[in-house]
Amino acid sequence: MFLDNKIVRRYFTWALDTTRESHLATLSDGPLFKGMDKKLLRKLVIDLIEKKYSAGDIIFHEGESGKAVYVVLEGSVKIIKESNLENKILSVLGPGSHFGELALIGHTSRFATAVADKDSLLLIMYKSYFDDLIRYNSATSARILLNLAEILSDYIHRNQPECNDEKVLP
Amino acid sequence: MTDERHKNGTSLTDSRKLRNQMPRWVLILLALGVAAVIASRITQLLMMMIAAVVIAYIFSSVIKAFERLGIKRSVAVILLFVLAGVFVIAADLIFIPDLKQEVMNVYAKCPEFSHQIKDALLLIAQDSAGRYPFIESSIMNLVDNVFGPSGFLERTPNASKILKQATPFIMAFILVPFFVFFLLKDWPGVKKRVMAWVPPSYVETTISVIEEINILVGKYLRGLAVDCFVIGVLASAGLWLIGINYHISLGILSGVANIVPYFGPIVGCTVSSLVALMQYRSFDPVWNVVVLYLVIKLMDDLIMQPLLIGKGVHLHPMLLVITLIVVENLFGIMGMILGVPVVTAAQKTAAILLEHHRETLRRKSKVSLIERPLVKSPVRPI
Repeated sequence: MFLDNKIVRRYFTWALDTTRESHLATLSDGPLFKGMDKKLLRKLVIDLIEKKYSAGDIIFHEGESGKAVYVVLEGSVKIIKESNLENKILSVLGPGSHFGELALIGHTSRFATAVADKDSLLLIMYKSYFDDLIRYNSATSARILLNLAEILSDYIHRNQPECNDEKVLP
Repeated sequence: MTDERHKNGTSLTDSRKLRNQMPRWVLILLALGVAAVIASRITQLLMMMIAAVVIAYIFSSVIKAFERLGIKRSVAVILLFVLAGVFVIAADLIFIPDLKQEVMNVYAKCPEFSHQIKDALLLIAQDSAGRYPFIESSIMNLVDNVFGPSGFLERTPNASKILKQATPFIMAFILVPFFVFFLLKDWPGVKKRVMAWVPPSYVETTISVIEEINILVGKYLRGLAVDCFVIGVLASAGLWLIGINYHISLGILSGVANIVPYFGPIVGCTVSSLVALMQYRSFDPVWNVVVLYLVIKLMDDLIMQPLLIGKGVHLHPMLLVITLIVVENLFGIMGMILGVPVVTAAQKTAAILLEHHRETLRRKSKVSLIERPLVKSPVRPI
């Protein structure tokens, strides 16, 4: 591998994209992209769109139709469930975490609201890009789908009694 | 009754909102109109910019390949230009002498070719004099206009005219690579800056537009390149089968001309027909050439274009011809080449924005009605 070469690392650091490398490390630690080939992951990072959000910016609202999955590269994001009485924080996601993943499977409504907790940099994967990956790059899309299936099954296992009560899967 | 009034109230509010937004849409349309007028006044610069965008788009895949190796984008662009320079120098040393010889040969034979065409046309005029007098008069007019003493071919251009016509090409030779360099180097930065301006509620729609246009333009350019190659090969093989000279050059010309929808195949067919007429001095082989080009056009429309370019880049035939005529008038030949993908992209963008607008209205009318059970678990896929 070109980048793993010691000589390249020593004499050509000026020509290497170190910021992207640190983002790659963050992504490969996250559950959605784990086990993915570094070359494929680098392709994803090059193709996808990054956006900075200031603290307090609403990324999406509950009830909106979901068209993209977001991955936190820097900063943190709060996931909030709105109710009539109070807003409940479901989780605070840090670098490497993702949210809005159900948008990859189908055009579902957002279950909760996402708000930038601090100034954050997010990587956004749009559904049509993922559909194109399924068509033309089965290795990448299969890995992501497998990870997604694992995330969902993990959720079901952890919430078995509740699922039985509600008789509804996520 | 209350529900009815509530519903009516919602729809009335929506229509009022739409009415309030009308001036904004009118302003956007006006701005687009003004931009089109300005663009038509600075066509040369605009065409150079568009050519640079197309070249940058094609070479962006090479830059991405370098980036996948972990190389910085700016370094990748410099590497690409160095490689292109080496390629041009190598081509200049290896191919240019032969090509120069070919061009000189064709240039030397030009008077001979023009005499051959003139003789063939006069022969046809003589043949048709008795039966079809209108054909004879039309051909004689054409011969006078092209080969006569004040005809098109006899006009000798002076040095200042040549310089005036060559200036845009020299400018393009310098400016297009300059634009390509900065487009390739700074494109991700521009994208980031644009995304920073986009309000959070429009992010997904904006990305949707970018993705759709990216997929559409990529599909169109790649499909068009393969389509032109196949058309060139088919035309060349067909002309060789019916015994027309210069079938390889004519095939290349047909392939290149095919870039312009509808008018391109007509150009290829006309030039090949002229060569057939010159070669055989009879109309029979011309019919063979016309049938060959019709068959190729049918194959292109029914098999190749749906397969290569797909249904993504599809304009109604009437809209397509109107588009071609309008863009030809505004931007010339380059406009004809790029008119179709640009109009299709505009069509898609409008559809996405309209969908976003509808969804915003729907959400605003429903926002108070959303009620879902509260989930106890802190982590759930959303």
